[in-house]
Amino acid sequence: MKVNQRLMLSFDWACLLALLGLAGTGLLAIWSTTVGTGPNSYLGRQMIYLCVALVAFLILLYFDYHLYSDYVILLYLSGVALLALVLLIGRTVHNNKSWINLGGMAFQPSEVVKIVVIVALAKYFSESDRENLELRELVIGGLIVLLPMILVILQGDLGTAITFVPIYAALSFMGGLRRKHIVVFLLAGAIAIPAGWLMLKDYQKSRIQTVFDPSNDPRHVGYQTIQSKIAVGSGRFLGKGFRQGSQGQLGFLPARHTDFVFASWAEERGFAGSAAVLGLFILVALRLLKGAREAKDKVGAMICVGVLALFWFHVTINMGMALGLFPIAGIPLPFVSAGGSSLISSFAAMGICMNIRMRRYVN
Amino acid sequence: MNLQADSNKQLIQQRLNLFYVPIIAVAALLAVRLWQLQIINGAEYTVLAEKNRIRTIQVVAPRGTITDRNGTPLVENRPSYNILLYRESVANIEATAAFVTAKLGVSPEDFSAILGRNKATPLFHPIVIKEDVGIDDISVVESHRQEHPELQLDQEPRRLYRYGAVGAHVVGYVSEVSADELAKGVFPGARVGSLVGKFGVERTYNDKLTGDDGSRVVLVDSLGREVGLVEEVDSIIGDNLQLTLDLDLQTTAESLLEGKVGAIVAMDPRNGEILALASSPSFDPNSFSTRISPEAWNQLVNDPNRPLQNRAIQNAYPPGSVFKVIMAEAGLDEGLVDESTRVYCRGSAFFYNREFHCAAKNGHGFVGIEDAVARSCNIFFYELGRRLGISRIAEHAQALGLGERTGIDLPGERSGVMPSPEWKQRARGAKWYVGETISVSIGQGAVTTTPIQILRAVGCIASGGLLTTPHVLLRAEGGRDESQSRLEKSVAIEPETTNKIRAGMWQSVNNWGTGHGASIPGADICGKTGTVQIIGAEREKELNGNLPALEDHSWFVGFATRDNPEIAVVAFVEHGGKGGIAAAPLAREIFRLHFARKQSPVLITKAAPAGSGDRP
Repeated sequence: MKVNQRLMLSFDWACLLALLGLAGTGLLAIWSTTVGTGPNSYLGRQMIYLCVALVAFLILLYFDYHLYSDYVILLYLSGVALLALVLLIGRTVHNNKSWINLGGMAFQPSEVVKIVVIVALAKYFSESDRENLELRELVIGGLIVLLPMILVILQGDLGTAITFVPIYAALSFMGGLRRKHIVVFLLAGAIAIPAGWLMLKDYQKSRIQTVFDPSNDPRHVGYQTIQSKIAVGSGRFLGKGFRQGSQGQLGFLPARHTDFVFASWAEERGFAGSAAVLGLFILVALRLLKGAREAKDKVGAMICVGVLALFWFHVTINMGMALGLFPIAGIPLPFVSAGGSSLISSFAAMGICMNIRMRRYVN
Repeated sequence: MNLQADSNKQLIQQRLNLFYVPIIAVAALLAVRLWQLQIINGAEYTVLAEKNRIRTIQVVAPRGTITDRNGTPLVENRPSYNILLYRESVANIEATAAFVTAKLGVSPEDFSAILGRNKATPLFHPIVIKEDVGIDDISVVESHRQEHPELQLDQEPRRLYRYGAVGAHVVGYVSEVSADELAKGVFPGARVGSLVGKFGVERTYNDKLTGDDGSRVVLVDSLGREVGLVEEVDSIIGDNLQLTLDLDLQTTAESLLEGKVGAIVAMDPRNGEILALASSPSFDPNSFSTRISPEAWNQLVNDPNRPLQNRAIQNAYPPGSVFKVIMAEAGLDEGLVDESTRVYCRGSAFFYNREFHCAAKNGHGFVGIEDAVARSCNIFFYELGRRLGISRIAEHAQALGLGERTGIDLPGERSGVMPSPEWKQRARGAKWYVGETISVSIGQGAVTTTPIQILRAVGCIASGGLLTTPHVLLRAEGGRDESQSRLEKSVAIEPETTNKIRAGMWQSVNNWGTGHGASIPGADICGKTGTVQIIGAEREKELNGNLPALEDHSWFVGFATRDNPEIAVVAFVEHGGKGGIAAAPLAREIFRLHFARKQSPVLITKAAPAGSGDRP
């Protein structure tokens, strides 16, 4: 196949470098915190996931994004079907029945479905050519999001389910919201949050409560927040060095290579290392926003915004959690946390967005 | 279409611009938070991280060992295992309690009592929940390390008293320091749970015997499991002590007292070294080397024979006729009696309008000082007492150390009472009656002495005036020779006085006197018996029977050889009957062994040492 010269020139190499930098950070942190855990190590698996993720990235980069945005209804329906299937035959990991076995590899379909939902909602909202979305469109768009979201909630994976909210919020904002609709949304939120609180499971409630008083229950939920803060804080300016982070190495830090990988990194690499990672995330976010601004059409811009919302929500919640600002939620740090589903879907989403940016001058 | 698209495009750009707000806001928030945690509070979190991973474990130093005078080990240390509870690692105290109750056999009441006792102990300080555990408990704890990382095994050196009850009253015992002792600072350096010397040499020389505890600074993981060693400070064993005791003599003394209640002490009158000190009944100090169980303790404390009491130094008894040796010294040195003094004994005599009796109903006839000692004639000493008066008696007795502690290096010594008119006025608020002087003259009445006092006083007279401080410590390892610093007083005793008393005591043993029971042909043993009436003769008749508890106390005190006293022995048996029958033969066996040992230094007694292999 022949790659268009024009496309190569428009490709955002800086953004790709930032993504590889983040993935490399993840590999280093995973290596450091899990070395010696056997031949089938987290590091080895993460490297395989990274290869798969890069392949997915290249594939999505190669085909014009209109190919999948035009047929997104099919992808959406199969995504929903997949979620329903997980509910029937899925595996339960940490209270969540959101995993499915794919050839011996545990896989979370909800991670992929999120991207499908972004494309589907972007496609649907972009078809409206009015200044603001009609109520009918908002409701249908809401249903597009709500259907998979409810399935994910039923799986028990509240952290992932919540990520649908920023997607919908960002895309409906982009589609145009009337003032009265904003009021309705705020009211709905005001009602939904207390109602949602009542629906939460006990462990989820206590996670939220202990953010406000971590010392309240040091051996249980708040314990994780305290240990994470100790890990980050004790890293100081330059960090303790490779494999020298006692909090991560000695197991005081929970999920040290997955959800709390940033705390492990901050402990061993200090403020210098963690600020660098934050800088890469900001760079990626700004490139996504730039991609949206330069997109050739509305659906491209909308997809970029949806991915940006999803990506930035993950970064905010995950890093905020590691720094003791937000409740502990099972939300991975994109590109960095150990885990194939997150890594692959993150790269896939970036593949789509960089595809959009690459084709900004192509007609 | 294009126009609309353009205006739409403008709108989209405007809306997109708003997305800078969450990006910049969140980026700023996270950056500030990172700065706050890592730069501003970094030092605090570093301390917290260190606290997390570092645990300091005290390593209890073994106490110094104790040997007899020949270097035979009496007290050593053996390794033992305790189960510790690290309360800061407890995830769920109910689960821990259930496990400890079900698998380690600690009753729920005991467990909560242990926790209650340690309420004030800092959380990071582990507490002992079961000690000196066997292999079963060790494997239970080891195999549940994953579920119960809060329970850990701790090796602790534990006292091994090789000969059990032999010498228990000298050696003493250790047990857990009490809250009261901690508060008062009785044992400097002791912490909650420390085993400290509570009795005997273990108590007196606790500071010497206590070593310097070491520590292990270890790296632990989040479950409290040791994963590495940071620093190790070795513990230093305490000073080893060599006692003056001779294990053979000690073992013999203990076996002579078996089934009796009493005490035997053997001492070198030349320097005050205690060669044997036995008190019966005895106890096994090994049962104290753990933080003793309350039942066993109560049993020992409530035993009517009080095995924990060292009768040689902690009980004062009327000395009875052994006091006559002191009377003889006073009379001779005051010049009130001499070679020619004779008193006629017809079995009884009147003093101050009251009739006093001699042990010999038909009387001894004319007796001189040597005869009076040898045959223990009461009438002679009544008369001597009348001539001396209580003040001079008390003066001489006090010079010989009666009525005051000997200063032996064992805890809990009693002083006894050497009565005088001043003493009676002070203690009882009453006037002295001259009749009391007559009773005191034969060691009855208010005078009470400990066996060690009698031994020391008689040893002083026998040696011609050297009043030693009895002691059981020969030397402490690394310490200077203690013998130089011991208090030795010189008592003015005429050589002729010593000769006369030696002669009287020699005759008592060797010339069919009351002390004949102590005689060994060829060995120049000198001695004096004593038989202390518990109740008056009339009362005995009324009872018309001899209840064993009302039998007389029996005394014997002696030394050998006559011309060169090198060993002095006191034997005392509570309610043993006649001193010549119950006590003298006990002393004889000590003398016999002493002289046999001089001829062949081979160990004669085969005291079976307690094995060290019966516990893990």
